[in-house]
Amino acid sequence: MPKKKQIYARPDLCAGCRICANACALVHRGEANPRLGAVRIRQNLIERYEFQEICRHCEDPPCVDACMTGCISKDPGTGLVIQDQSRCAGCWMCLMVCPYGAVGRDVIKEVAIKCDRCAGRKAPACVEACPTGALVLETREDAAEEPFFAEPTVAG
Amino acid sequence: MAHSPAKERPICLNALVDLADRSVRYFETPPEIIRKFIGGRGLNMYYLYKFLNPGCDPLSPDNVLIIGNGLLTGMLVPNSGRHNVTCLSPESGIIGDSNIGGFFGPEMRFAGIDRLIIVGRAQSPVYLYIENGRIEIRDASPYWGLTCTGTQVKMKYDLGSDVEIECIGPAGENMVRFAATRYGLKNAAGRCGTGAVWGSKNLKAVVARGNAGLPVADPEGMLAKYMELRDYLNKSKVIGVMGRVGTPLLYDVSNYLGAIRTHNSQQTVFFNTLNAEEVHKYVDKMLSCYGCVVHCRHRNRLGGEGPEYTSEVMLGANIGVADTYQVIDLNNLVNDLGLDVSSTGTYIAWAVELFEKGYLDEKEAGYSLRFGDYPAMRRLISDIAYRRGFGDVLAEGSRLVEKFGAETAGFLIAVKGLPQSDPHDVRYLKGFALGIATASRGADHLRSRPTLEIFDLPSEVRREIYGGPIDPNPVSYNSKGRLVYFHENIYAAIDCLGICKFICHGFNSPRNLNYTHFRELVKLAYGLDFSEKELEDAGRRVIDLERLINHREKGISRKDDTLPARYFDEPMPSARAKGSRVDRQGFDKMLDEYYALRGWDANGTLPADRVAELNSLRDLP
Repeated sequence: MPKKKQIYARPDLCAGCRICANACALVHRGEANPRLGAVRIRQNLIERYEFQEICRHCEDPPCVDACMTGCISKDPGTGLVIQDQSRCAGCWMCLMVCPYGAVGRDVIKEVAIKCDRCAGRKAPACVEACPTGALVLETREDAAEEPFFAEPTVAG
Repeated sequence: MAHSPAKERPICLNALVDLADRSVRYFETPPEIIRKFIGGRGLNMYYLYKFLNPGCDPLSPDNVLIIGNGLLTGMLVPNSGRHNVTCLSPESGIIGDSNIGGFFGPEMRFAGIDRLIIVGRAQSPVYLYIENGRIEIRDASPYWGLTCTGTQVKMKYDLGSDVEIECIGPAGENMVRFAATRYGLKNAAGRCGTGAVWGSKNLKAVVARGNAGLPVADPEGMLAKYMELRDYLNKSKVIGVMGRVGTPLLYDVSNYLGAIRTHNSQQTVFFNTLNAEEVHKYVDKMLSCYGCVVHCRHRNRLGGEGPEYTSEVMLGANIGVADTYQVIDLNNLVNDLGLDVSSTGTYIAWAVELFEKGYLDEKEAGYSLRFGDYPAMRRLISDIAYRRGFGDVLAEGSRLVEKFGAETAGFLIAVKGLPQSDPHDVRYLKGFALGIATASRGADHLRSRPTLEIFDLPSEVRREIYGGPIDPNPVSYNSKGRLVYFHENIYAAIDCLGICKFICHGFNSPRNLNYTHFRELVKLAYGLDFSEKELEDAGRRVIDLERLINHREKGISRKDDTLPARYFDEPMPSARAKGSRVDRQGFDKMLDEYYALRGWDANGTLPADRVAELNSLRDLP
């Protein structure tokens, strides 16, 4: 099977604006709030980091195994890990097992928020919206490790 | 009573919090008022006028503290992360209003509240916690006494790392009259001493966790529009440079002209150690505020954020400190203590000049004050924030003119009791000079900052932008009233919408977002159609209202729309701007033109029909 395009995050380019997450929430729910997007930016201004939490659509997805209602499944054709939100019970097991912290939660509706890589769109909204090129959709043979941040320097 | 944010969310839900009896009342802003004042700064002013008892002491429980989001704050609109903090200023005694970026404003909207109106004084330190449309008043004694950074670290440890916090530092707690309200390491509602009002109310912080979404009328349209505007803005040269090095890019330009406020404006040229490329050696990464496509914030290598052009001059050139490391260190210190950079730098420079001229001796100051004495400056900044020794005196800000003598006001670079924010010496650019004189909150460049005439634009383009002929000569006194009038209106509208000025028309660029863009964005967000004229009129109305409040509180009129005597009487000493000063007659001419355009009388007060209109709006339920 030929390699499919994946969303790759480049945290060193991320300026922390949350536009990706807001665009995701907007196209999936018609509402603005980065917290409701399937991609999120984890940032701590004081600890000095920011990076994107985004679903890798794993080959062997732990969230599929963990889901008690069976609402998350791996589509063998497209390779996408898809969630049927109407059947989500809000138990947050998928959140707990995801090694990338990529599943979000809507605490008001009590459902998990999971990336569908914008199945119905030409390109994922987050990739389209990112102003700095910190999210890219491309085919990579072997994903190189992205640098997180430069080595801290003691000045003066 | 909790208000459910999920169902039928109104455009603007306000919460009136009385800290004295610990009550919260929720109410919506009627659509007709939104049409008149839009949101953000506009609605803040409206509610300030509505709820403030005339003649109250700014540090008394009667003062009204308003934290209000713009109409587009939080939407998928470029740079829509801003909100305004408004109160009666303890520094100047007139309106205190400050615009702040970061992430707090959007988070407060997502938590279900668009505007907080805080009155009364809590008996002991409290903070407000906002989630799911509900406000809790909680005990803040574990956080009292901590710096801005310390407060946020501890709160995030206690409440979860995903909350957003706006807080005050020791300066605010000690009611230093120019204390700032802070978000994160650097974002500040810095001007006008808003932080002191928080301190006077025993309010340490406001915390929000936003779970609810803002409904958008046309989501796909908004995404498409956002991408169109992002690509359009990214073509702008100045936005590109701003994203690479931030505002320090202006330092070199101003220095070349000879218009850097140096040694309390006694000099106008300073060392090139504060040029953007020097500052950039200390920068790890450039960061964004909420929804920002510019990313002009520096994460510096000394543990903080900044410096901006303003802080590198106010805590560098103006107090004589030239070393890049030392300036960034002072910038981080001032931010952490929660002081306003512009006011702090101006007052310290003024104090040094007082010391040099003998108004102040070593006995009173505690130690000698000299320009460029970094250890003393560092000590003085801490002393101000904690009100120790002479710092306690200087913490009273512009009121000290009464103590040291009226003649000392001539070299305090302030208007209406508020020090000048911009590090640019305005004696050369006459439009700037008029702008800081008429600015509603005191000497402030972010109320107008008229720059477009210095660009090499064809005269018909200038005429089209400003709606009248504009003299492109920056040192003439012609047509500067029109320039300032135009910029004040659009900046007020921008503040009402909650967008950052850096991407807007008239701020460093004749392109970028203008009224037409604002109209499209409001339509996509709410399905409301505000015409370009309505938006401009709202900006104008806000300035009228600010004038009305200022007139009511302190009788602000023509006599107050002036400049420090130094700008009139002493010519600039060096470089290309050498010899420039503001001519009093020329200045009066500019002021006449400005008042005429505003429809104010020659004394700079509102005509009776405008006052009646604003009063009738205030009296609506």
